[in-house]
Amino acid sequence: MTLQRLLINRIEQRILISTIAFLGILVVIGWLAINEGGRMAAFDSEFTARAIEDGATLFNTNCSPCHGVDGLGSARAPALNSPLLFGFDYLADIHKQQSALKTELGLPATTDARKTEINAQLADLQTQETQAEQQLQPAIAKGYDPDQFNRLANVGWGSTLYNYIYSTVTSGRPVSSSYWPQPMPNWSQIAGGPLRVDQVQDIVQFVLNWDKGSNWTVDDLLAVQQFPKVPVDPATVAQLQQQIQQLQQSGGQLPQYVGETTSIDDIMKGLQGVTGDAQRGQLLYTGQTTPVLPCSGCHTTGTGPAMQGTWTRVVNERLKDPKFAGWTGEEYIADSIIHPSDYVVPGFTDGIMPPNFGSQLTYQDLADLIAYLKTQDQPSS
Amino acid sequence: MSVLPFPSFLDDVKEKGLKRAVFEGINEVTERLTSGMNVQDIREALRGEPASRKPNPRLQPHADGFWLHMRPSYFHQSVTGLYPTFRLGWLSTYFVFFETITGILLMIWYTPSPDVAYQNMLNILSAVPLGQFVRDLHRLGAEAMVLIVFLHMLRTFFTGSYKRPREFTWFSGVILLICTAFLSFSGYLLPWDQLSLWAVTIGASMVEAAPPAVVGTNLNLLLRGGPDIGANGLLRFYLLHVLAVPAILYIFLGVHYYKVIVNAHSLPPREENIGEDTAKRVPLDKRVYFTPDILTSEIMWLSITTLILVILVTWFYHAPLETHANPQVTPLGTTAPWYFEWIQGALKLGDKVLWGIVFPTIVLVFLMVLPYIDVSKTRRWAHRRVAFTVCLVLLSLLVIFSYMGTARFGVHNSADTTIIHQMVMTPQDKDIGKLLPIPYDELVPGMYTTVQFDNPADQADTVLASFNKTLDNGNYGIEGGQTIQTYMQNTQLIPFASMNFTPVPSDATELVDAVQWLDQQIQANNQELLNGWGVVIITEPQHNLKRADVIITWDEVQLNAGHVVLDANGKATPVLDANGNRIRRINSDHVYIDANSQYFSAPGA
Repeated sequence: MTLQRLLINRIEQRILISTIAFLGILVVIGWLAINEGGRMAAFDSEFTARAIEDGATLFNTNCSPCHGVDGLGSARAPALNSPLLFGFDYLADIHKQQSALKTELGLPATTDARKTEINAQLADLQTQETQAEQQLQPAIAKGYDPDQFNRLANVGWGSTLYNYIYSTVTSGRPVSSSYWPQPMPNWSQIAGGPLRVDQVQDIVQFVLNWDKGSNWTVDDLLAVQQFPKVPVDPATVAQLQQQIQQLQQSGGQLPQYVGETTSIDDIMKGLQGVTGDAQRGQLLYTGQTTPVLPCSGCHTTGTGPAMQGTWTRVVNERLKDPKFAGWTGEEYIADSIIHPSDYVVPGFTDGIMPPNFGSQLTYQDLADLIAYLKTQDQPSS
Repeated sequence: MSVLPFPSFLDDVKEKGLKRAVFEGINEVTERLTSGMNVQDIREALRGEPASRKPNPRLQPHADGFWLHMRPSYFHQSVTGLYPTFRLGWLSTYFVFFETITGILLMIWYTPSPDVAYQNMLNILSAVPLGQFVRDLHRLGAEAMVLIVFLHMLRTFFTGSYKRPREFTWFSGVILLICTAFLSFSGYLLPWDQLSLWAVTIGASMVEAAPPAVVGTNLNLLLRGGPDIGANGLLRFYLLHVLAVPAILYIFLGVHYYKVIVNAHSLPPREENIGEDTAKRVPLDKRVYFTPDILTSEIMWLSITTLILVILVTWFYHAPLETHANPQVTPLGTTAPWYFEWIQGALKLGDKVLWGIVFPTIVLVFLMVLPYIDVSKTRRWAHRRVAFTVCLVLLSLLVIFSYMGTARFGVHNSADTTIIHQMVMTPQDKDIGKLLPIPYDELVPGMYTTVQFDNPADQADTVLASFNKTLDNGNYGIEGGQTIQTYMQNTQLIPFASMNFTPVPSDATELVDAVQWLDQQIQANNQELLNGWGVVIITEPQHNLKRADVIITWDEVQLNAGHVVLDANGKATPVLDANGNRIRRINSDHVYIDANSQYFSAPGA
């Protein structure tokens, strides 16, 4: 028996076979490389799917006792299978038109005629909104606000929904005991809880899988058992209580606020016949009576133009500006309080003065403040 | 006079002309790089012509060069064929380098921490171009290497090549075998999935048995870095895998190959007289020179082997990846890696110390000292009947023990648990639950029962009507005063508003097959699962996500060590409660199936 030595006896053939095999390797790897993008994407979707499956099991065991088997919430925790969590806007069309009109209303170029037109359209939209809200009524009765349709925006979350859910599951909700019977536990091992990080990620994938995108229906909203409860600032509660008290004293008359978007001409009309009380104005200015205002926080510290000599500066400097030709000092001050961004004194920054005094001040409050500031007629320091 | 202020290549150009100067320059560089062969020498060698100048320039690289000084300049013709080496030693070496290269590539994307290791694997598979390819190559190469090294040892035994003067070569080879097995084993843990964790837990648990207890406990702590394999254990296995064991392997690879060259490859037994070793004295007419014959041959094998591996991982093999490691959940039917199953099988024979420590140690020590025990001079097969008999007995034992190591042998789980597991398990050890590969559309939400298949197909409606009546909308009573409804609500946390069973849609053929399979399994175990029937309930909790619950209920029977106690008539004896009633037992499990999870009947296919 003689075995063929070296199997392939001729050197040319060995070289040829090597070359072909080497080219074969290149071809197969090249073929793989061409298809790699598709393969990786398929793998990704496959493993997200498996994460959802694992998340479903974990949710069923750990989360469903409070959030419900179907994620619709219970008296112990809010719904996750809810358009609110995913920011679906049932009144998207109306909201879009309202926002466009309000922007236009605030533009300096908008004529009075156009403003009237816009106000009419806004009123019309308001009617439409009320009608549209009729079918959402059962949800609204449970605490849903169609204008506050995005949970992330409501809580001021600056990152993604994934991260919102991930960090909530990870560390829980420590101080919810005043709203829910028990706090949400810290689930992740990195926060001292029982679940591994990847398990928390699986749960997030499962919760995100409830998203219907643009296909949420009214029935989905009405199926929700429990909406999130938003914590309330005790100061706000106190203010509301006081307003209720005032309301009772005045025999059911709501205080008439100036309004944030009221034009300066209308404000001046509103101020006619109202007598300012400089003493009460001082109390208001220094935050010693309600509504509690933060004026002195900036205007006595240099963050804003100084309180001292306000009237002197208004008369001697501001009204000389051609921009305010024909204005009175009262008009200037009223405009500065209600529309702080209309004019910013050089050397100071726009956006620091809150733009919402219009919804805190009545005409009486405004008149009192103006009366007080008129007493600041000493030379500017 | 030089062109530049010092002698340079330009002088050559000036003297000989550009073309000749360049050619001679290339020639010289080539000769320096190859330590002795110029362009003409290489050309002649590759053409298969004899060398045209003396001394033979093809021997020069072996004398002067680094790389080829490790290789003999010629081999005996009798060892260059397929027999007697079968290229197994060469292949083992090939895999050492192959695994090193692919391993280093994988290291780039891997962090040995339980927090991120599994995520790293997903990243390698989903975001690293050709990541899956390299991982598959590394895994396939690792398993192939264990096999090849083992076969290499067998071949060496059968040709008697371990005999004098090659005893120490064999000894160093056994160390390489141990290193190979341990490398493969330690690499098993790194993906940090269920397969890794539990295979390695079983393997490492043997260490704990080492006597006395203080040694075993501390060795175990040292290896695992704690009572259980966790962050420390993973880091230790990783360092062993990439640093310590490869270092030992490379050192002994050097020793092993040095001994091979010093003693030369042993000739086929029949070519020598008994007791002779003529391998070093190669007659001139029997010499096969490294350059060019062995060199081209090795390049050829290199290309072919690589091509085969590349083709295998492209179309036929994918490294498994199960779910994330979970120390709290032991998968049913866990086994050690296949090359350690013989130890796991031996462990089932009884004492952990004897079979887990003493027995493997004896086997290894026996292998190491084999050439010093078997000192008979003859290498002829006919004269080594005792040695061959012992070897074949050991091989048979290896196969039998390995079989005993699998979950098929000696592991008894109750029938209900096993059947339900086989319906709903996620991919595990090349197996998958019957419900998972069913096309998503065929998983029609509804409630189905195996009772449908115990009767002729045309009676399905009557049978189900009567079954629904028995079930009484889920108020059917079971053990512990519960009903099926309350049981499902309390243990599986899935409340059903109502329970109404319908025939399995006949166009959902794979679902029909699965429910029918469940029925067959329950029938096949009808002694243990007396009067048993099963239920499959499919719901759709989310868009694109379905849930399948599998429930089995049966009358409890008397069991002895997991086996049914039969009465004189060969029937199972039901267990009765205090009131003399049979106890209706229940067991269930569920699985979620996403529309995109793409489970296949064979994972990775």
